[in-house]
Amino acid sequence: MFKFLKKKLSESIKLISGTKEKPRKVAKKKQKGFVEKIIKKATTKKIGEEELNKFLEEMEFSLLESNVAYEVVQKISYDLRQKLIGMEIKRMHSQKIINDLISETIKSILLEPNEKKFFDEIKKYKPYVILFVGINGSGKTTTLAKIAYMLRKKGFSCVASASDTFRAASIEQLEIHSKNVGFGLIKHDYGSDAAAVAFDAVKHAKAKGIDVVLVDTAGRQHSDKNLMNELEKIKRVVKPHLTVFVGDSLAGNDVIIQAQEFNNLIGFDYSILTKADVDEKGGAILSVSYVTKKPILFLGVGQNYSDLSIFKKDKIINKIGLN
Amino acid sequence: MVLDKLSTSLKESMKKILKTTHVNDALINDVLKDIQKSLIQADVDIKLVFELTKKIREEINKRKDRFSQKELIINTIYQELVSILGEGNTITIEKKQEIFLLVGLFGSGKTTTCAKLGRYYQKRGLKVCLLGLDTFRPAAMRQLEQLAKKLNIPVFIDEKEKNPVKIIRKYKKELKNYDLIITDTAGRNALDEQLTKEIKNIEKELKPSYTFLILPADIGQNAKNQTIAFKDAINIDGVIITKLDGTAKAGGALTACAFTKTNIQFIGVGEKAEDLEEFKPKKFVSRLLGMGDLETLLKKAEEVIDEVQAREVGERLMSGKFNLFDLSFQLESMRNMGSIQKIVSMIPGLSMANLPKELLGVQENKLRTFKIIMDSMTKEELMNPEIIRAERIERIARGAGVSEKDVRELLKQYKQMKKILKKMKGAGQPKNLRQLMKQFKGIKGLM
Repeated sequence: MFKFLKKKLSESIKLISGTKEKPRKVAKKKQKGFVEKIIKKATTKKIGEEELNKFLEEMEFSLLESNVAYEVVQKISYDLRQKLIGMEIKRMHSQKIINDLISETIKSILLEPNEKKFFDEIKKYKPYVILFVGINGSGKTTTLAKIAYMLRKKGFSCVASASDTFRAASIEQLEIHSKNVGFGLIKHDYGSDAAAVAFDAVKHAKAKGIDVVLVDTAGRQHSDKNLMNELEKIKRVVKPHLTVFVGDSLAGNDVIIQAQEFNNLIGFDYSILTKADVDEKGGAILSVSYVTKKPILFLGVGQNYSDLSIFKKDKIINKIGLN
Repeated sequence: MVLDKLSTSLKESMKKILKTTHVNDALINDVLKDIQKSLIQADVDIKLVFELTKKIREEINKRKDRFSQKELIINTIYQELVSILGEGNTITIEKKQEIFLLVGLFGSGKTTTCAKLGRYYQKRGLKVCLLGLDTFRPAAMRQLEQLAKKLNIPVFIDEKEKNPVKIIRKYKKELKNYDLIITDTAGRNALDEQLTKEIKNIEKELKPSYTFLILPADIGQNAKNQTIAFKDAINIDGVIITKLDGTAKAGGALTACAFTKTNIQFIGVGEKAEDLEEFKPKKFVSRLLGMGDLETLLKKAEEVIDEVQAREVGERLMSGKFNLFDLSFQLESMRNMGSIQKIVSMIPGLSMANLPKELLGVQENKLRTFKIIMDSMTKEELMNPEIIRAERIERIARGAGVSEKDVRELLKQYKQMKKILKKMKGAGQPKNLRQLMKQFKGIKGLM
């Protein structure tokens, strides 16, 4: 997934650190003062304005090509400029230093969830209600089924609320998942009030002592005011303990607008990015993390129920090749 | 709104040019930088962006001495953007038994687009059917079936069969009875070997006349490689871009098309079955730059308005005999044409006027409320709104679940419109276009 970004970044780093020119060999011990001077000149370099601009431009370019949103690229570039300007770097170590700096900047952007806390929270409430939101086709229903599968494996009982009463066959889709994975399903007819379905699901869970309620919602464009109001109503009615934004890791610059709007209008605690197995670039993960300042909970990495992996930033940093 | 943000930022650049009295290098640099930024934010491939702005600069420098530099700049930008988008060619369904095959990534909107295409060609008089080959995603077949049922389009599915090729064989005979067969397939990663093999087999068995790649407007820099991979695997005749009703600018999809020299055929602009438009590069760029797109608007109006009824309404409008019934009809036609925002974006001048989005949203709600109120009126009240007094207002408000104030507001608007229409009386026989403009005058009255 990160092959591309990795390649691009290491190209940029090579450019600035000049790994191709090896530090000159020390000639003789005798001419101490003079030689030292030369060594210093050859192995350390102060990064000048022009050089820095060129480097940052290259880096911006490769981040943009790696599908990182423009705004986020600007921020990374700015941070690096602050750190690098006027810095004296020993040539031999320059690659490592720059490597570390980029890695540090990206690490500070990527937020990972606390896995233990996540499961502890679920145990605290009964039922624990999770609401899934996102735009059309981002993979909410599939992700819900994957999470149900994972929770079932950990011994939690689950019920899903078929609150996508708009899209054709969305209820049937969830029904098939519920049979395959083994969770209950509360549904009304198509066109009925999505909040009412969710309300019933919570009521059902309370009566039957079910651990987790998973509320599926219809995909919607964040720019559709009425549909966003509907979603806000669902949230108001069921008061979820956790709201999760499901985003598409193939999405480009728009993913930050999507995440921001959903966060502003509805509010969410975590993001889940889907289709990460298809994504060759990895930029959307960085973008969403940066604009929402919320941890990424899981990545969707395939078409099977078990294809859901908890988000670990070290894994990502490794994959980009920065460690 | 379609391409809202890109459009706003490009429009800002256009305004910058139009506002200045003297075009100089600094201004050109400024504008080109803006354009670069907005295209990058729209997910257009970075290299392509630099190429484009370089070209624009060269064009401008080449003709420095020419008369109107402002127009030259705008025109150059327009031409270069159009050339990226390529020539849009229209598909002509000539021979009987045309077959469309829709392919694409997961969640790009293939199934919905199948239904929209079905609706599009059904309206144009073709005997259409849908064929479901998504044997993977749970209930995908059901989705296609439910969408087709709503539109009264026959659909062929098999929920038990796991092999798409067998489904094609199963229905081979029945499918012969249709002019156009639109085929839905499972979402797939074109870089996945197994999934690619499946689509190759489908292509071999189905022998589609046109294969469309469905790309969502929000896809980023992954678009190029996926498109190339799809093209390597099977023959792709065109691209359909979906989800253009959000804020995504479709730059990724546009780039993919530019690189693979594939034409964009249709764009999906909403959740309704009608929300599919033919893609015309020139119009698209016009809209991007805020020049409006009257042609599409007129075409849409023609499609949704019942000719006979429209003429009747038009005649009544001209004679000054205008009642709420007519207003209700107008609102209904408007709603079938799409959201106000969408319509406004197509009207030259208005699209540049920068109407606040919130205001349009409010208007949209207001119109909806008006429609509900009118649905709660008796036929008599609709024909003779003058008879509506306090008592009736109370009943209507209760019936419609709105406040009496809303009902009064509607009546007030109606009276205003009537006044305007009276003034325009005798302006000549209503023609199609004029009728339409009248309707828009009416809406402006409402606003």
